[in-house]
Amino acid sequence: MRNRLKVLRAERGWSQQDLAERLEVSRQSVNAIETGKYDPSLPLAFRIADVFGMRIEEIFLKGE
Amino acid sequence: MAEASGGRFGPVFWGAAFGLAIMALAGLRIYGIIGQATGFFILLACSAMIVPMIRSANRLSRERGCASPALIRYNKGMGSASIAYIFGLGVAVWLFDKHAEPTTWTYLLALAPVLPIFGMIWVMGRYIVEETDEYLRHRAVMAAMIGLGGVLAIGSAWGFLESFRLAPHVPGWASVPVWAISMGIGQLWLRGRER
Repeated sequence: MRNRLKVLRAERGWSQQDLAERLEVSRQSVNAIETGKYDPSLPLAFRIADVFGMRIEEIFLKGE
Repeated sequence: MAEASGGRFGPVFWGAAFGLAIMALAGLRIYGIIGQATGFFILLACSAMIVPMIRSANRLSRERGCASPALIRYNKGMGSASIAYIFGLGVAVWLFDKHAEPTTWTYLLALAPVLPIFGMIWVMGRYIVEETDEYLRHRAVMAAMIGLGGVLAIGSAWGFLESFRLAPHVPGWASVPVWAISMGIGQLWLRGRER
């Protein structure tokens, strides 16, 4: 699954660590999700959407 | 940004030093250069390396931003169980008299290294239950599965070679170190993928 995490994070000037702290997860988690190596669970995807103030489908996109 | 290393000497350094020390010790014992008692005390001294290994692993986790409380507890629990395993194994091998008739004492002696292994399995299970970071939990489960795959592949291959008299007998307890080494390789591979 593709995602726009890196772009959205850059727009806000957040580092991976900043986003990880907002989500209460490890920096490794943010890195793995951002690089498409790990697809988050639905609850975490909702938390990510809340942090960016967007809908899940605006952040996560269909396809590899 | 500087590469996280876990301090001057990282966990890989301590792990490798411990592994080499154990191999050297095994060599000294196999060739009869040192006796059982000397071997036991050297083994205990070697196990002291587990302490800096765990400390540097925790430091590295903090540097990499993945030091969850559950992971710190897991590292400490695994370290304690490993030291207890080495101690139990050393005592059992040292005190076991091959020529004596089996008694209750023999059973207790044989089980001395087993309880720490149960401890390791419990620590691992507790970590998977307590880890709140779903990616770290996923990584631990994947590493455990790679470890299990290693045990099944190597165990079954070795078993058939042994049945056809192509390999010497290996005791069943060897499954634990094979599992641990396979899991360690799995963890390194999974961490390598993150880069």
